[in-house]
Amino acid sequence: MDSAGARADYADVRVVSATEEQIATRNGTLGAAARSQEAGLGVRVRIGGGWGFAATRHTDRTGAEDALARALAIAEAQPRAATVPLAPQPPSRGEWSSRAEEDPFAVSLEEKLERLLAVDAAMRGDPRIALVSAHFAALHEHKLFASTDGALCEQWTTDCGGGISATAIGPEESQVRSYPASHDGNAWRAGYERFRELDLERAAPRVAEEAIALLSAPPCPAGRSTLILDGGQLALQLHESVGHALELDRILGGEASYAGTSFVSPEDLGRLRYGSELMNVSADSTTAEALGSFGWDDEGVPATAAPLVERGVLRGFLSSRESAAAIGLERSSGCMRARGFDRQPVVRMTNVNLAPGDAGTLADLIAATERGIYMETNRSWSIDSRRLRFQFATEAAWEIVDGARGQLLKNPSYAGVTPTFWGGLDAICSQSEWRIWSLLNCGKGEPGQLMRVSHGTAPARFRDIEIGLS
Amino acid sequence: MLDLAEQALGCVPACDGAQATVTTERSLLLRFARSRPTQATGIDDLSVQVTVLRDGHIGSATTNGGDREALAACARAAAERAQAAARAGGTGAYPGFPLPAPVRSNDGHDADTARLDPAAGGSALEAAFAVAAARGVEAHGVWSAAEVETAISSTAGLCASERVTDAFGKVTCFAPGGRSGYASAAAVAARALDLGALAERAAAKAMMAGAPARLAPGEYPVVMEAAAVGELLTWLGYTAFDGLGFAEGRSALDGRLGRRVSAPSINISDSPRYPGTLPRGFDAEGVPKRPLPLIQDGVAAGVTHDTRSAALAGGGASSTGHALAPGGSPWGAPPTNLVMVGGGAGDEAELCRPVERGLYVTRLWYTNAVREKETLITGVTRDGTALIEHGEVTRPLEDLRLTDSVLGILERAEALTARTELTSEGEFYGRRFATGVVCPGLRCASVRFTA
Repeated sequence: MDSAGARADYADVRVVSATEEQIATRNGTLGAAARSQEAGLGVRVRIGGGWGFAATRHTDRTGAEDALARALAIAEAQPRAATVPLAPQPPSRGEWSSRAEEDPFAVSLEEKLERLLAVDAAMRGDPRIALVSAHFAALHEHKLFASTDGALCEQWTTDCGGGISATAIGPEESQVRSYPASHDGNAWRAGYERFRELDLERAAPRVAEEAIALLSAPPCPAGRSTLILDGGQLALQLHESVGHALELDRILGGEASYAGTSFVSPEDLGRLRYGSELMNVSADSTTAEALGSFGWDDEGVPATAAPLVERGVLRGFLSSRESAAAIGLERSSGCMRARGFDRQPVVRMTNVNLAPGDAGTLADLIAATERGIYMETNRSWSIDSRRLRFQFATEAAWEIVDGARGQLLKNPSYAGVTPTFWGGLDAICSQSEWRIWSLLNCGKGEPGQLMRVSHGTAPARFRDIEIGLS
Repeated sequence: MLDLAEQALGCVPACDGAQATVTTERSLLLRFARSRPTQATGIDDLSVQVTVLRDGHIGSATTNGGDREALAACARAAAERAQAAARAGGTGAYPGFPLPAPVRSNDGHDADTARLDPAAGGSALEAAFAVAAARGVEAHGVWSAAEVETAISSTAGLCASERVTDAFGKVTCFAPGGRSGYASAAAVAARALDLGALAERAAAKAMMAGAPARLAPGEYPVVMEAAAVGELLTWLGYTAFDGLGFAEGRSALDGRLGRRVSAPSINISDSPRYPGTLPRGFDAEGVPKRPLPLIQDGVAAGVTHDTRSAALAGGGASSTGHALAPGGSPWGAPPTNLVMVGGGAGDEAELCRPVERGLYVTRLWYTNAVREKETLITGVTRDGTALIEHGEVTRPLEDLRLTDSVLGILERAEALTARTELTSEGEFYGRRFATGVVCPGLRCASVRFTA
């Protein structure tokens, strides 16, 4: 940074090393047993209004100097742009580490494999089950950040999680069930203790039985209905229709050619009714054991918790130092994150959480619902480029009749328009049902980055929702 | 590169077989939004992947360290995983790494592109900005170029290497009223990208006159540009042609090989050296790539395999050169050089002529599989959707959600443009692996829209 300070208006560097382990079974054999290690640094510079970023695996002084020179050349080669100041940020200095009671990399491979294979076996047996999988993943990351503003932060994180799935095949269809969530299960910023607690062994027979039962279940009806979503599906709903929609770079048009724009504008702050009075959403990078938690973001902004929606009204954005300054905000909300050393930070969700309500347990909520549909576990998701009109499908649904969970329904789906959908929110389960749900594959940025984020949710009820579209 | 792969292979302890793969990426990607540069990323990295076989089980490890110590640690980690898998899981199903076979050379490398000159990218951005300013729109998009080198060495005697380049550019123009238009291009050589021309095409769509019309959910005739068709075919790759899904009974072609699955005018293959594609000599297991018919005259003709999926499929199946990873990828073995042969229409305007009232679709966004075995997908039209009335594109149309079966759309396909183009989303997650689909524009008698 000493060298960069004289040659750029601003510069920062991240030195990152990461170790990742993935183990997955596939029908009784090992589908994947892989470990990856990478280390490198990424230098980001700003000259005038233009940015340049260069990444290299060479972390010595020569490598850093070469990357700086390349970043400067890239920034200088672009057309000139007007300079927007960065929101002020006092230099952050210090160390931070996530908690892990049991280091997942210290647990023997044999133990993990035997456990996964046992769970895998517990899902097989019926010839209609065509594919089962049990999955474990862990990540260690060490990151050092420094900037020409004087920041110097070092942090260590450990993530761990997993899950299972079973796919049943009929003549013309396939049906899948997963636990605790689809898309590689659930993960936490924690140690192996969390993976143990998943109790995959107990869930395995039920997962396979439900996949088979779906083959002969009646389809989800079409029409308008009261809808209860489980916490996992609600996490994705929150992610797609609230989290992404409130990324300030997207709102300002910076992602228009790829991730898209937003139906929200800067002028909506404090005015837009996003949902019902029950809707309270925050961006909280201090949430315990959540994948969007850290000491500082990748611009050295300290972790914080800030409201996005309060009592249904828009109260905040996810921002960076540049995007915050562009609309006159005093400071960044600390949402700049990069995946690995070879990608530059972009505005990202941290932990976008929906506060719990007072509807009790899921059983209480169903009991308090005369008629409707309960949907569980995401299967398919799609939303337009303004984050306004969406369509989701889940793995399974159950009808609700007179406050009781009725028959299983296959191929459930629902659709809506973001503010109208959230306006239909009329009950959220209580704190006892509130969980952290992870999403490991949030794609954004060019070149692409898959970010790991979490959302805290409890099951919730929505009125007058269009269901059964697909 | 091959030396490094052989060094890595030399670090592997005694086992039933091993492969070392070295991949280098040098890339440059410049982003822009609202007619100004935003982010620019240069990457220079290397990956060494060691894959070890033990009793039919695969263990794998990857490092981006190129020194002896890093290679040895990587080889050890891979061997430990294979050994642990063998101890825990009995005998596995992987039959062994492929034997060497001759690899045909291709013209997938361009030395000028490999220079990754930032000034060339800067000039491309200036050209797009100039057009946008002249047309009264704002330009958003990407200019990108890369060189990727792959070297494979295995205990089966395989020794192969390849250097390829790719370039990708796209421009989305936004008119003052908020309407957008899109155009993109992908090629082996960066000189083939003309961001000014792309901006012209995108601006024309963004500036289409008239208030946007609105269509209720329902079924309509549709004319799709190649970008939209390429998106559909990419999904077909995963839901129908992937040999792993086929072997596991999850494929839409399960039990349908040799039967008609689309209109007779549909011919789809995986053709790694077809004109306009991004040529590749071999797959991630070093198996040579060659043309493979997938749908011929509307009849399902084949699926794509890697070594693992072929072994699982049995019946004499062998790898067709579609491994995404040595030993098999969790994503299966989908095609990577899809080609759909064009038809007889001069252009998209000619495709529109028989349509009384329908949709003109530039591209699809956020597509996702709803039910894989039915090839049922959903996604939203974006950046240039228009209404076709009395055989002509007449005015802008609000975007709609397509929810339909890809094979169903191909079954109802009526006509194709003669011209094909390489379409790509230019998405580069992880190590850069550029792919694209060569396809024509298409008219379909009826496509289902749900919102």
